[in-house]
Amino acid sequence: MIPKAKEMAGPVEMSDAEALWYSGKWIDRVPQSVSVTVLGLGMLGLWWLIAELEFVSRILLPGPAETFEELWDATKNIVSGGHIAEGLWITTQEVVWGFLLAALAGFVLGVVVGETRLGKRAVMPYLVSFNALPKVAFAPVFVAWFGFGVNSKIVMATFIAFFPVIVDTAAGMLAADDDTLMLFKSMEASRWQTLLKLKLPSALPFIFAGLKTAAVFSVVGAVVGEYLGGGHGLGELIRFSAQTLRIDRVFALIVYLGVIGLLLFGLVAWTERKLLFWHKSEIFEIQVGTPG
Amino acid sequence: MIESTDAVDRAGQQPRPVNDEVVRITGLSKTFHKRGLSALDDVDMVLRHGTFTSVIGPSGCGKSTLLKIMAGLIPASSGEILLNGVEVTGPRQDIGIMFQQPTLLPWRTSLENVLLPIEIRSGSAAAQARSADALQLLELVGLEGFDQVRPFELSGGMAQRVAICRMLVTGPAILLLDEPFGALDELTREYMNVELQRICRERDATSFMVTHAIPEAVFLADQVFVMSARPGRIATIVDVDLPRPRTLDMMTTPEFGALVRRVRHELDMGIGGGGEQ
Repeated sequence: MIPKAKEMAGPVEMSDAEALWYSGKWIDRVPQSVSVTVLGLGMLGLWWLIAELEFVSRILLPGPAETFEELWDATKNIVSGGHIAEGLWITTQEVVWGFLLAALAGFVLGVVVGETRLGKRAVMPYLVSFNALPKVAFAPVFVAWFGFGVNSKIVMATFIAFFPVIVDTAAGMLAADDDTLMLFKSMEASRWQTLLKLKLPSALPFIFAGLKTAAVFSVVGAVVGEYLGGGHGLGELIRFSAQTLRIDRVFALIVYLGVIGLLLFGLVAWTERKLLFWHKSEIFEIQVGTPG
Repeated sequence: MIESTDAVDRAGQQPRPVNDEVVRITGLSKTFHKRGLSALDDVDMVLRHGTFTSVIGPSGCGKSTLLKIMAGLIPASSGEILLNGVEVTGPRQDIGIMFQQPTLLPWRTSLENVLLPIEIRSGSAAAQARSADALQLLELVGLEGFDQVRPFELSGGMAQRVAICRMLVTGPAILLLDEPFGALDELTREYMNVELQRICRERDATSFMVTHAIPEAVFLADQVFVMSARPGRIATIVDVDLPRPRTLDMMTTPEFGALVRRVRHELDMGIGGGGEQ
């Protein structure tokens, strides 16, 4: 749960030790854009080959060509406002509402848990063990409670995305180091001042790690809700397509699900980069000469 | 010891007591009940205005505990600390403190970090009003033009200079330094010691520094308190009468060497006498 630079999409910075270990390997001499593209094309080629040689039936494993065709059809459907556009819109709403509710509740309760002794000593163990439960198993319960409409999916998305936010936020509240806390005590800072000026900013890297997980989890929650609770979202379309053995359409729809998740994740990561300009995950080494 | 007569009291602190006594500690003891450990036992000391005191002792002798009690951060079990004649019962504005780590807030600029104590105690407007003072302090420590720079752009030594400014900004009567340069490399550390001496002289500061480096303790101090462990007590006071300002060259003189040897000898005695380690 400790945020690291490596969680970020994009080029990964290496430590000196790592660089030394890898130095001289051919992969370091290839630009990353090239290595990523080549690997992607290679995987597409492998997929094409497996489909073409029909190791498995083409109905069960359509090749890249059929999938892209289906993706193109889906895109046309979305642009013209067809049923896939409706499904995309419904699922997007469920995901966004689920994420926002989870972020808000997780943040507020996480601060309370991390800041109070009762929270740290009594509530935190429950959170950690609850976090280890397979939360998708609760989906039927929410369908029973909140019906087959959008609400049960939002609740499912919120429920599953809530835990990473509250656990990381609570952990982040303990991130300020002892000496700095001692400094605040020596300045006679109130609890509120210590919270606002020290603990919350120190917790931000943790909170954003939780939010990024929540962005991904809220899509999972919404789709699982739709698989079990019906409706008209992308999850239901996927379930129906799979049942009618239109695997190529399933793949095309999963791409659009991925777009929702990636956009949400990207938005959170972008906000993080703006807010955490001071954090070591965002800083390339800047050298300034010592004066005098 | 040469007293600089032109030293001006720029900090604007309370008028100093006639007898020049800034800190008086009597019969100070500290017992940690949980561990049944006596950390400090019957410590007495007097710190006079404008003097620099180093405290040295084996690890676990309670020197950091002593500093934190003096800062009002942890309570004493018994005994009394007077600062400018008023008993220390908790953190106070006229106590300045600095740690081994710079403890700067990385999201704030140097200037905002220096102004933090004012902002905490009197609000943002009051801090804003003191910007000029803070800039002057940054200039004093050789960081002119670095006021808008954030900590991640500063070297370790520069970050500690910002911490010095933050300690000085409230015009404290006593500076409590807890191994302030312990995390720096040797060369930077020597340089910072020279700088600290200059800053203390310019501000006419009363300083109390915990360290575990004997040459550093001798270099900076007017008096070195040598502590023994378990229970922590002040075993000996070594007066350092080398002329000021002291230079790094002085560290190679026989006089300096003799003082270092004396402190080391006292330390060894303290450890030997301390018994059960």
